[in-house]
Amino acid sequence: MSGVQDVRQRNKGKGINRDASGPSSAVDYDDHNVAYLPSRSYIESFLNTEEASAAVVAILTIIAFFTRFYKINHPDQVVFDEVHFGKFASYYIRREYYFDVHPPLAKLLFGLAGWFVGYDGHFDFENIGDSYTENHVPYVGLRALPAILGSLTVPIVYAIMKECGYSTIIAAFSAIIILFDNAHVAQSRLILLDATLIFFLSLTMYSYVRFKKLRYQEFSPQWWGWLLATGTFMACTWASKVNGILTVVAVGVAVLIDLWDILDYKKGHSMQYFWKHFIARAAGLIALPLVIYLSVFWVHLAILSNTGPGDAFMSPSFQETLRGNELLMKSHEIRYYDTVTIKHKDTQVYLHSHPERYPLKYDDGRISSQGQQVTGYGHEDSNNQWQIIPTKALPETGRGRIVRHEDVIQLLHVNTGTVLMTHDVASPLMATNEEFTTWPKDDHSRYNDTLFHLRLSDAAPGEAWKSKSGHFRLIHVPTKVAMWSHPTQLPDWAFKQQEINGNKNANEKGAVWYVNEIVDSQDPDLKAKLEEVEMKEPKRLNFFKKFGELQLLMLQHNAGLTASHPYASGPINWPFLLSGISFWTQNEGQKQIYLIGNIIGWWASVGGICIYIGILGADLLARRRGLEPIPDDVRNRLWNSTGFFIIVWAVHYFPFYLMSRQLFIHHYLPSHVASALVAGSVLSFVLSETINTPVSAWGPSVKPRPTTYADHGVKAPVMVAVFAIAMFSLYLFISPLTYGTPGLTGEQVNARRLLSSWTLHFAAKESGNI
Amino acid sequence: MSANVRARRPPSPIPSQPPRSQRFPTLTHSRSDADERRTLASKGYIPGRKPHPSGGVYVTSAEWKLLILITLIAVGIRLFRLSQPNSVVFDEVHFGKFASKYIKSQYFVDVHPPLAKLLITLAGFVFGYDGNFDFKDIGKVYERVPYIAMRLVPAILGVATVPLSYLTLRALDCRATTSVLAALFITFENGLITQSRHILLDSPLIFFTALTVFFWVGFCNEDKQQPFSDHWWLWLTLTGLSLGAVVSCKWVGLFTIATVGFSTVYQLWLLLGDMRVSARLFFRHFMARALCLILVPALFYMFMFWIHFAILSGSGDGDGFMSSEFQHTLRGRGMADTYADVAIGSVVTIRHVNTQGGYLHSHPHNYPTGSQQQQVTLYPHRDSNNDWRILNATTDGSEPQDWATLPLTYVAPGMRIKLRHAATDKALHSHDFRPPVSDVDFQNEVSAYGVPGYSGDMNDDWIFEIYEGSKKDPQSKRRLRTLRTHFRLRHALTGCYLFSHKVKLPDWAYEQQEVTCNKNAVLANSLWYVETADNVLLPPDAAKVNYRRPGFLSKFLELQQVMWTTNAGLTDRHTFDSRPDAWPRLRRGINFWVKDHKQIYLLGNPMVWWLSTAAVFSYIVVRGLLILRAKRGCKDFENTKVVKYDTLCGFLFLGWSLHYFPFFLMSRQLFLHHYFPALYFAILLSCGVFDLVTSTLRPRIRLQIAAVLVIIAIWNFIYLSPLAYGLPWTKAKCQNARWLKTWDFSCNDFYDSYDQYKGIDYTPQPSQIVPTPHGRGAVVVEGPVPIVSVDPNTLGKAEPGHDVFAENPHPDVKSDPAV
Repeated sequence: MSGVQDVRQRNKGKGINRDASGPSSAVDYDDHNVAYLPSRSYIESFLNTEEASAAVVAILTIIAFFTRFYKINHPDQVVFDEVHFGKFASYYIRREYYFDVHPPLAKLLFGLAGWFVGYDGHFDFENIGDSYTENHVPYVGLRALPAILGSLTVPIVYAIMKECGYSTIIAAFSAIIILFDNAHVAQSRLILLDATLIFFLSLTMYSYVRFKKLRYQEFSPQWWGWLLATGTFMACTWASKVNGILTVVAVGVAVLIDLWDILDYKKGHSMQYFWKHFIARAAGLIALPLVIYLSVFWVHLAILSNTGPGDAFMSPSFQETLRGNELLMKSHEIRYYDTVTIKHKDTQVYLHSHPERYPLKYDDGRISSQGQQVTGYGHEDSNNQWQIIPTKALPETGRGRIVRHEDVIQLLHVNTGTVLMTHDVASPLMATNEEFTTWPKDDHSRYNDTLFHLRLSDAAPGEAWKSKSGHFRLIHVPTKVAMWSHPTQLPDWAFKQQEINGNKNANEKGAVWYVNEIVDSQDPDLKAKLEEVEMKEPKRLNFFKKFGELQLLMLQHNAGLTASHPYASGPINWPFLLSGISFWTQNEGQKQIYLIGNIIGWWASVGGICIYIGILGADLLARRRGLEPIPDDVRNRLWNSTGFFIIVWAVHYFPFYLMSRQLFIHHYLPSHVASALVAGSVLSFVLSETINTPVSAWGPSVKPRPTTYADHGVKAPVMVAVFAIAMFSLYLFISPLTYGTPGLTGEQVNARRLLSSWTLHFAAKESGNI
Repeated sequence: MSANVRARRPPSPIPSQPPRSQRFPTLTHSRSDADERRTLASKGYIPGRKPHPSGGVYVTSAEWKLLILITLIAVGIRLFRLSQPNSVVFDEVHFGKFASKYIKSQYFVDVHPPLAKLLITLAGFVFGYDGNFDFKDIGKVYERVPYIAMRLVPAILGVATVPLSYLTLRALDCRATTSVLAALFITFENGLITQSRHILLDSPLIFFTALTVFFWVGFCNEDKQQPFSDHWWLWLTLTGLSLGAVVSCKWVGLFTIATVGFSTVYQLWLLLGDMRVSARLFFRHFMARALCLILVPALFYMFMFWIHFAILSGSGDGDGFMSSEFQHTLRGRGMADTYADVAIGSVVTIRHVNTQGGYLHSHPHNYPTGSQQQQVTLYPHRDSNNDWRILNATTDGSEPQDWATLPLTYVAPGMRIKLRHAATDKALHSHDFRPPVSDVDFQNEVSAYGVPGYSGDMNDDWIFEIYEGSKKDPQSKRRLRTLRTHFRLRHALTGCYLFSHKVKLPDWAYEQQEVTCNKNAVLANSLWYVETADNVLLPPDAAKVNYRRPGFLSKFLELQQVMWTTNAGLTDRHTFDSRPDAWPRLRRGINFWVKDHKQIYLLGNPMVWWLSTAAVFSYIVVRGLLILRAKRGCKDFENTKVVKYDTLCGFLFLGWSLHYFPFFLMSRQLFLHHYFPALYFAILLSCGVFDLVTSTLRPRIRLQIAAVLVIIAIWNFIYLSPLAYGLPWTKAKCQNARWLKTWDFSCNDFYDSYDQYKGIDYTPQPSQIVPTPHGRGAVVVEGPVPIVSVDPNTLGKAEPGHDVFAENPHPDVKSDPAV
């Protein structure tokens, strides 16, 4: 439905006279008199009545609920990523801050479901295999949510096909591919995000199809309604999981093609008309989704108001908005002559020094200053303590003694009585960087080299330096280098501690440090404060700042998920179902859950896509030579309606080739839904030379056209019935892997290994052949 | 011409209208008919002027003189002081070394196809290079190397690119002024100059790219005139040959193939839509192009490898990457014939089939983990520690050591055997210990165990199983035959299979490959074969075998695969690498060479470079506008001028995109010089845009504008030329020339004034600032240039990528020193 149908199609005469096989000679403007057309078989006419359609969808939905809810309480253990998503639900209920790469909507729904069934969030979902019953977790309530959404996806798929003008039997075909798919079933029965994602994706597609069908009644209330519904569901998809952004792209591509058609001069629209359409779509599909997306995050941040495991990911100012956060509780203003320990932000080592000296000559022949070593050390030690010495006159007491942004300070190493300095001598490991060492505090000959500029991150002028939250860079005054460290060990002469040197580029990431702790202070107030622990009110921070920071971190971490996983697979394997994921195993009874699809459905879908591309390619070539093998309206249906499904499929599939992060087969499930729709429309094309028209609602500007019907005959119900039985049998056959019960013997496991690339557990050893 | 005809022309002949249009070429034999002349005149053609000859390129004799002059200028610019510097520059490290290896016939593996390297070698060979210089480090002074002759190859090809650019634009129906402008832009492009003055592959690559484009444009002109004429075939075949040459220089040439390919598909698409073209004729068009643009380049490419193999007949440091069959074809790597039959008591060497790990090996060092018995590994080189003696383990009363006295028994499937390590007299042994690296339940450690004289225990026993034999040797399926039988060894007690995989052991085993006994063995990794077998009981005239010699095709395919995997593996960072997004901006160059207070730094001519980028973007913007306007019913594309320039710029833009965007998909190391083929297209495109913009101006004014542009380009060139040629420069001038902060040539290397260069010009003298042993030093950075955190040791290196093999053919795996 991505493009407006061609002008020619509206030509009335052509529609009537075109084909002999279709029943178009019986021009009938009334849409509902279908059953009485003489050329349609009785079965087909009957199936396409509204009652029959309702019955079919009811049956499909009931079966869907049954397949998704069957033994949903098994296994009563943590399975696969329930480790994460169950845990997040607990955090919502406990209102503790956590960090995850996925947007919060689906997880919020889990939290809601947990709250609804009375879960108190006490369980931590630590390991796969932890028991729910022993820990009294109402996990069925949590699992019911994706199961409901996964079941509802089936009737929505049916409805999409039906709305696109396919007959009941074709719509049922597409729905069956999803209904009896083991991968969808397995994914919907567990506390995972994909069922929610797919549910919202299919709703988005449904709304968009409804919206496009109203294209002749533009700007009518229904038109607006479906436009806004599309935007809403699209935002929900996006807010459910990070790859929901692909849905936004898919709808965006379809809308752009649509707008491009409106822009066409031959359509005779004015530019004003075009801008009206443009602005309407911008409002419904950009502004509205953005608002919804932001509000989901607002809810997320509003709920998670307590400190939790996600604190450490965030910036200090963010952390201070969380109740009970360490930074909030233990962050104190630092005063001159306080003794502190300083930590490197990236590698978490302490700034350390000890009486040993740099060797005179390094292995590569360079010479050192032979000064006292300054290193990074990972453990607590009295050699980590430094005292802050002022370089200006101080008042005796009061706030004048607080160290502030842009102050010039000296750092005195307490144990050796030397001050930190750097100078133009190459560091032990990097000839380009300056060596850090110390100098006796009473010897003023190198005084200038011991001065450092304190530069706090994102600080206003005169801001006070605080422990924990005050991230800072230390810039050497004479040479402008920044104190910098990197995770490289020094040789044995420095006890394999980490190198610290002066980096000329002060903006390098590794130059950020913070004060870990104020060990000792001369200020009695602060000393008292250090000892008492009081509850402080969290600070406030602008929502957009928080949102921006969180969004950026999510992107960075998503890109960073590159560690290998035994069940990760490349996108090329997915459409052909070459590999699955082992979700859960139990030795006792040889039970396992293995995420794998129904091979008949998957291969039918991928076959449908191949046939579609073949048809369009052949049609293009034939048209170039002046032949028209496919009638115009059938061709338009293929391009526009099926084309939309293909866009959804491609946009949800091909970008994964560019991602270097860990990929799993369940990333293909959204594409699989789209490919099931493609398979349905291709089946319709193969079985019939005509289509059901018109499907779009008439508008005032359009003349009514004759109604035509697809004539699938009796063969369609028979074929789909056979297909459904085959799907169901295979579904049953694989179901022990999907439901994790009953257990299988080694031979049974071997029999279920339909492709040799499936890595099932408990397979029987093949007998050695001698 | 009669006044009558003139009167019919448009009242004021629009000077903007080009005299002839590519789109509607004039016909040669149209001059006789007065009516036709009249129609021609009505289109704006100048009456009486000699029309375009059919197809190809049309250049007047005056232009030839001009062309010769431009070429002479290019010769002067490209060859100026070619002998300086007289030491190794940047990747001459690799390509010089490869030339030495060609001359000495030592097999090597490189990621680039051979044509350009062969040309360089030829030059070296003709001028008497003996291949004895090692090209070890950047800055090493040449001794007895005809390096000038070798540098001449890229330099001359670089010079030849200049007239080619002129002819290409002429063939694209641009004006002579425009074409001169393009030729001079190419001449004074500092980056192209620097790149073509050294023993590097990019200059040949750019030359052949330019040549292909020229031939293709000529072919397109022919195609519009008279398909299937002799000329048509000639241009098409030349395009094919030239395509083969591009891709034989570097694989980047595939982008040129893509450019021509897209162009061809578009041509065919137009032909397909032309209903006057019969299906038969279309098929002829299709086949002719398939033949000349697919088959001819493929054959040319394979022929280059044929020469490559013919020259590299001897063993060298690239051997380790090839299969045993391949290695056997190399002189010095060949193996003597060995007994075909293996019997109890034979001393054999056993190789792993699936990995290049090598021979089953043991040495008198123990595992630090597990059982702490003697190590068993895979070792890639021939060594006496690879010898194992096969003993009979069947407990029929006879001692395993009795083999010498018993009758000859061939090793047959199901036989229970022991493998005794010849050097240390220990047996291949497995037991319930976890292997050192693959510490998993289903794998057992494999060790060598036993004391001399002790016949060993049951854990030394292995069941011999044949997996497959050779079709040509039916015996090999029934009993163990050297080289022909692929077999597995099953541990008699635990049932696991002797197994190896691409897992390296730590330092204590010299990084050799791990050998384990695997209960769930992947079939391919548990297959072994016997490479050599010796038995004193066999008569000397017993049947012997050797490796089958692979044919050219299998060698060719194997090498392609090795090149591909190695190329994909070049992902290390280099100090001067860059990502594609930085190239059109000319964000940063490459430091080629620093010595004697002079340096060579690859950097383009900023004016030419940025102008070309601007042209590309203006094309994108204008074309986008045109598409939008067409959608809104504007009839721009009915204007012949728009059509002409759209076709011209569209083709050049296609070339630019296809030579640029694919780099975004590559995760391997990339350098500025990878942009040069795209730059060539961009420069031509900028001149096409110039032709369009100045088309309404009078020729004199057009010429003046062109002159101004050329003068600015030359000024830019002169300003930065000390970096291109490695000439003396002063610190102050260098600082002034650093127009972008990201240009990281190190100005501190230069003296303060030119006077200080006197007298030291040709005496190598260590630089003060550059103390690294490589001659090219760490870049001294002033200001916030973000390369400081780079390990200085990487600075002195050339682009790795080529010498991954040369430096480390296989990590130098030491066998045991004590044996």
